[in-house]
Amino acid sequence: MDPIVKAEELWKVYRLGKVDVPALRGVQMDILPGEFVTIMGPSGCGKSTLLYVVGGLTSPSRGRVLLDGNDLAKMSDADRTLLRRNKVGFVFQRFNLLPTLDARGNIAIAQHIHGNGFDPHRFDLVTRMLGLRERLDHRPAEMSGGEQQRVAIARAIINEPKILLADEPTGNLDTKNSESVLKMLTQLNQQLGQTIILITHNPEVAAYAHRVLHMRDGQIVDGIPAD
Amino acid sequence: MIGRLVWHNTLHRPLRTILSVIAVGVEVALILLVVGLTHGMLHEVGKRIEGVGADIMVQPPSSSVFLAFSGAPMPQSLAGRLSKLPNVAAVAPVLLQMSSSGGLDIVYGIDPASFRAVSDGFVYLQGHGLEKPDDVLVDDLYAHSKHIRVGDTLQLFGHDFHVAGVVEHGKGARVFLPLQTLQQISGSPNEASLFFIKCTGRGLTGVVAKEIRNLLPGYEVRPLQDYLSLMTPTRVPGLNTFVHSMITLAAAIGFLVIFLSMYMTIIERTREIGVLKSLGASNIYIVQALMGETMLVCGAGIVAGLLLGYGGRLLILGFFPTLSVLISPGWILRAAAMAIAAGMAGTSYPAWLAVRKDPVEALAYE
Repeated sequence: MDPIVKAEELWKVYRLGKVDVPALRGVQMDILPGEFVTIMGPSGCGKSTLLYVVGGLTSPSRGRVLLDGNDLAKMSDADRTLLRRNKVGFVFQRFNLLPTLDARGNIAIAQHIHGNGFDPHRFDLVTRMLGLRERLDHRPAEMSGGEQQRVAIARAIINEPKILLADEPTGNLDTKNSESVLKMLTQLNQQLGQTIILITHNPEVAAYAHRVLHMRDGQIVDGIPAD
Repeated sequence: MIGRLVWHNTLHRPLRTILSVIAVGVEVALILLVVGLTHGMLHEVGKRIEGVGADIMVQPPSSSVFLAFSGAPMPQSLAGRLSKLPNVAAVAPVLLQMSSSGGLDIVYGIDPASFRAVSDGFVYLQGHGLEKPDDVLVDDLYAHSKHIRVGDTLQLFGHDFHVAGVVEHGKGARVFLPLQTLQQISGSPNEASLFFIKCTGRGLTGVVAKEIRNLLPGYEVRPLQDYLSLMTPTRVPGLNTFVHSMITLAAAIGFLVIFLSMYMTIIERTREIGVLKSLGASNIYIVQALMGETMLVCGAGIVAGLLLGYGGRLLILGFFPTLSVLISPGWILRAAAMAIAAGMAGTSYPAWLAVRKDPVEALAYE
């Protein structure tokens, strides 16, 4: 089976003033379809940068990164935007919901941006699965952290992305809500076959995944290979 | 969906939105009132000249269509020569003087009999006609603005005049003195600034005008049916420049306020822009959302501007009933178009900044 994400000698170097700061140093990684993979590492090891490069939010400096067969290193910003729209869902630590829209609007806008219009069946399925039916008319300021993160997950999966990228999704949640969110991600992976890459510094969170990759100083230092 | 986003984003900061709407409203109202006042005054003057009821107006050579800028007077005796021309029913000599007491007004010195023959006479709302040398007639708008009634004393050119009558407005000037009296006061004995001519038939204006031009070569002979079309700002030195300057100032106000408002919006919503980009929103999508907000504000501002403009018009006419403010559909559309153009121009730079934002940096923005 071909990996859905393949990184080969992946580098990302940031220019800070006159200094080049390498955030990724030759990352090698394969993620198979349907896997739930956690990337663990201390703060500043490059986990988030790796996620953003794989998700097409930023381009790599060197190397190759294939997302569902598309080489992100060779794509323009507009092409990566299109790819992200069609194949990637993001979940962030700070939820990042649009504050002026209610939960329904926050989820629906992802469908609108996708370009296929509002799909009521898919909308119902996702909101039911995530237990959001009673909260759809509430704005983010009227919801708990756990509810907001569930809305963010709904928004991320509403268009059936090839891959779901979660950046410390439980970082701002209490234990109970963290467990609830992680169980939902597990459910998505097991029932819908959603491929998930989750980054965390918390070993308890990492334990929910099939596989854990460890990162340090911009490199994957150990982890069970994909096959 | 984008409409919902635009609507809710606009309502998210109500004070900022209200201020932007007011600024656009002021922009639109300023354009409408400045243009309305200038066009209104010209239009009103033209209507009053046409309202005399004459068919032709004769002025000295090189005279301006604006009677306030008239050239040197002509001998009053020309009236006799003009009245002998075929197809001329009546000739009324008029002497013009500008009065500056209590504002700028043009005063007509008229011969009541000949003026009546040309104009079919005044409609008297109070009092009677000019009977004595120190009698003065005023129109109703002038009387209302100056709080004058029949029997009051009106000072003009340093002389006291007795208000003999108040007449319906629309026949040339707002203030009428006996011709001989005005000639004496202005030191222009037996002289007239212009002659109003009534033809014996409607369709004879062209024929009579030609005969007058033959009789008095070089004199300005104007058929009054086209007079109104001559009353344009381009004929008043500097007026067009003034109007254009005010329009530019108004548009600049709208541009600057929208620019500042949208610039602040972009700064405030940096993370939201990052979220939209993470969802795969294209640059066009983001620009559409921003322009949508601008269009909504401009639309509301145009409505506010119309209310302000018409309200301002009512206020002006309430305090200054002799003025005219002409708000035409054409200028409403132009003012609206300028407001929208200024708003979109003001949004263009903030929109450009928004699409250039790096999504990773935007998502990390506090």
